[in-house]
Amino acid sequence: MLRQLRAALGVGVVTEPPAPASEIEALGVTLRGEIARLFGRSLHIRQVDAGSCNGCEIEISGLTGPHYDLERFGLHFVASPRHADCLLVTGPVTRNMAEALRRTWEATPDPKLVIAVGDCSRDGGIFAGSYAIAGGVADVIPVDAVILGCPPSPKALLAGLLDAMGRLRQ
Amino acid sequence: MSRVAYSVAAALGALAAMIGISGLLGDTWVVTVPWAVPLGGLQLSMDRLAGFFVALIGFATIPVSLYAIGYAGDDRRGALPYVGFVIAMCAVPLAANVMTFAVAWELMALASYLLVVQKATNGTATHPGAPAADGSESHDASPHAGGRHAHDAAEATGAAWTYAVMAHAGFVCLLAGMLLLSAWSGSTRFADWRDTELTPLARDAVFVLLALGFASKAGVIPLHVWLPLAHPAAPSHVSALMSGVMIKLGVYGLFRVSLEWIGPAPAWWGVAILVAGTISAVVGVLYALVEHDLKRLLAFHSIENVGIILIGLGAGVLFLESGLGTLAVLGIAAALYHTANHAAFKGLLFLGAGAVVRSTGTRNMEVMGGLVKRMPWTAAMFLLGAVAISALPPLNGFVSEWLTFQALLQSLQVPHTGIGLVFVGGMAGLALTGGLAMACFVKAFGVTFLALPRSEAARSAVEAPGWMRLGMALLAFACVALGLGPTIVVPVLGLVAGDLTGEVTPLWFGDWLRLDVPGDFASLSTFAIAIALLVAGIVPLVVLRARGLTRRRVYETWGCGRLLQTSRMQYTATAFASPFRRIFDFLYQPAHALHVEAHPESRFFVDAIRYVHETRAVAEDWLYHPLSQALHDVTERIRGVQSGSTNVYLVYILAALVLMLVLG
Repeated sequence: MLRQLRAALGVGVVTEPPAPASEIEALGVTLRGEIARLFGRSLHIRQVDAGSCNGCEIEISGLTGPHYDLERFGLHFVASPRHADCLLVTGPVTRNMAEALRRTWEATPDPKLVIAVGDCSRDGGIFAGSYAIAGGVADVIPVDAVILGCPPSPKALLAGLLDAMGRLRQ
Repeated sequence: MSRVAYSVAAALGALAAMIGISGLLGDTWVVTVPWAVPLGGLQLSMDRLAGFFVALIGFATIPVSLYAIGYAGDDRRGALPYVGFVIAMCAVPLAANVMTFAVAWELMALASYLLVVQKATNGTATHPGAPAADGSESHDASPHAGGRHAHDAAEATGAAWTYAVMAHAGFVCLLAGMLLLSAWSGSTRFADWRDTELTPLARDAVFVLLALGFASKAGVIPLHVWLPLAHPAAPSHVSALMSGVMIKLGVYGLFRVSLEWIGPAPAWWGVAILVAGTISAVVGVLYALVEHDLKRLLAFHSIENVGIILIGLGAGVLFLESGLGTLAVLGIAAALYHTANHAAFKGLLFLGAGAVVRSTGTRNMEVMGGLVKRMPWTAAMFLLGAVAISALPPLNGFVSEWLTFQALLQSLQVPHTGIGLVFVGGMAGLALTGGLAMACFVKAFGVTFLALPRSEAARSAVEAPGWMRLGMALLAFACVALGLGPTIVVPVLGLVAGDLTGEVTPLWFGDWLRLDVPGDFASLSTFAIAIALLVAGIVPLVVLRARGLTRRRVYETWGCGRLLQTSRMQYTATAFASPFRRIFDFLYQPAHALHVEAHPESRFFVDAIRYVHETRAVAEDWLYHPLSQALHDVTERIRGVQSGSTNVYLVYILAALVLMLVLG
C-alpha cells in the first residue's frame, strides 16, 4: 500500500487539462433541455463494449466524475438494456460480440437510440479488415449517430450526444 | 389405515380447537381422575393460557393432518405415534399437577422421538412420489448424490439420538425444579405454588432449573442443537407440528414459570429472558442465512422466532417488575400473538418445503430452481409464508413484530438505566433480525422456486396432490386472517395476559379496525395497509389501460447477451449468502480450503478446482464437544469400579455392610 501511495504522490497528475467548466455547463444545460423535450424526463444510457481497446471507456467514465458529472443533466448509465433509452456502443464489433450486441439491441425497448463512439465504431478503424471483426457498429445494428475521435474527449461526447438529440428531433 | 389415523388426528385437532377457544374466552374447569396416575392422580385444569395453547395446537393440527393424508400416502409408519403426539401435546398445557405434567411431557417427547427416528427404520418408500434424483447431481457435492436412503437413515438415527439426549437432559432439569418446588410448598398441584412463600435464593434456583428445561424444548440458543437436526429428519408434517407447536410448549412453560408459579419475577429473570431471546433471534437467523438445506434453514428460523417471542415475554416481565402493568400486558400479548403467528407461517413453510422435498427427492436448495413453473400452487403458498415470516405488512408476522417493537420502544418509562440498555439491545437485535430474515427468505424462495431448474429432479418435479394443497391453503388463510384481524385477536390475548399479570387493563382497539397502543403511543390498521397496497397495485394498471399503454412484447429473459444460458450460470444459495458470511465470520468461524488439480505438464491447464467453505457451529464446538468429552472421561473412570470380577463385588458388599454398621 505504501508503494502505491508513494507512486501516486510521486507521479502527480498526468491527465490532460479538462474542458473549462463553463463550456461543459452550457453544453449540458442545452442537452438537458433537448432531453426533456424528447424523452420527458431523462435519458438512460446502456454502454456496450463491442470490442474496444477501452480508450473510449476511460473517456466515458470521465463523464461520470465530479468535473463533468453528467447525472446533473439528466443522463444516467444503467446496468441493463431493459432500462435503457440509448445504447452507447464502442469499439469495432468483434465476431465474438456481434451476436451479443444484436441481442442487446433487441432487448432494448422501443423507441431507442444507438450512438456509436470512437473511430473504430464507424468502420473498424485501425482494425478494419481484420479476420477477427465483423465490421463497424452499423454493420450489425442500425446506428443513429457516430461520435468520432480516438478517443473522443468527454466534452466531445457531450457535444455528440447533443448533436444526436438534434438529429432525432428532425 | 394411515388415512384413518390422520383423519382421527384432524378430528382431535378440531375438538381441541373448540375446547381451547372456550377456555380462551374464560371457561375454567378441573378434571381429576385419581386412579389414572400415581402421586396425585391425573389432573387437568383449564384457564385462559392453557386454552390459548390448546386452541393453537388444535388449529395447527387440522391443516397439518389433512396435509399428512396426502403426504404419507400408503406409508403406515408414524401414523399412530402421530396421533399420540397430538394428544400428548394437548395434555401438556392442561396438566395441573407434577405427575400429569411429567407423563404428558414425556409422552410428547417419546412420540416425537419415534416420528424423528421413523426414516431410520426402513429406507424404502420414504418419498412415495419422488422421481430418482440420484445420478443427476454429478456437479454437486451434496451428500444426497448417492445412497440417499442409507444417508437419510444414518442422519435420522443421529438426529433422533441428539434429540433424545437433549429432551431428557431438559426433562431432568424440569423434574428437579418441580420436585424441589413440591417439597418446599408441600403440594404437587401447580395452583398451590403461587401462594408459597420462598426465599429469593430458592426461587432463583427453581427458576434456573425450570427455565433451562423449558428453554431446551423451546430451542433457545445455546440449547438449540437438537432442533436443526430433528426438524429436517422428521417427515414434513411432523416438522410443521414440532416447529409450529411443540417448541411453543417450552415457551408455554416459560410463561407459567416467570409469571405464575413462582412469580412475581425479579428483574434479572426478565433481563435473562430478554437477552436470551435477543441472542437466539440474531444467531438463529444468521445460521439460517448460510444454510442451503431447505428444512434446516426453516429449523434455524424457528430458533429465531422463539427468540422474538422471548423478547416480548422478557419485556413483559421487566415491565411488570417496574410496576408498569399496562405495558406488561402489551409485551406479553405481543409474545402470545407471535406464538400463534409463528405456528401459522412456519407450519405453512414446512408444509411447502415438504411438498418440494417430496417432489424433488432432495432438501438441498442448490439442486432445485424453476419450481414456480412446475409447482405453482406450492410456490404461491411458500411465498405467502415467506412474506409473513419476513414481517411484511399486511400479513401476520408484521402485526406481532410491530407489537413487540411498541412494547420495547416504551421502555423509556422504565426508571432503571441498566434495564433500559437491555431494552435497547433487544430493539437493535429485533431490527437486525427482521432485515436478515427477509434476506434469508429472498434466498430461500429465489433459489428454490425461480430461474432454471438445476437438476433433473427439479426439472421433472410435479405439483403436490390435493390433500397437501388443502393443508397449505388453510394455513395460508390463517396467516392472512391473523394479519388482517388483530383487532379481534389482540383483546382476547390481552385477557390472557391480564390473567397472568393480575392486571385488568383491557387491550385497546379503535375505530375502523385500528389497533391502538395505550397512551396514544402508536396505532396500526393492517386493513388500511392492505387496501392501500391493493390500490397501489391496481391504480397504475387502470391508468395505463386508460392511456392505452398496455402494449406488450414477449422476449427471452435478459442474460447479458449470452448465446447459451444454463442453470450453472445462476446465482446459488451459497453465493447469495457469501457477503453475510464474510461480515459475520466471527460467528461462523469459517474454514476455507482450496484444492486446484492441474495437469502434470503445466499448471495453467487446470483439471479440477475444489473449494470447500464450511461454517462451524460454535455452540457444538465450544460447549457440547468439551461437555460430552468430559462426561465420557468421567464415565470411563467410573467404569473401573465395575470390573466384572465377583471377588471385587464381594468386597464392595462387605464394605457397604461395614459402612452401614458404622453409620447405623
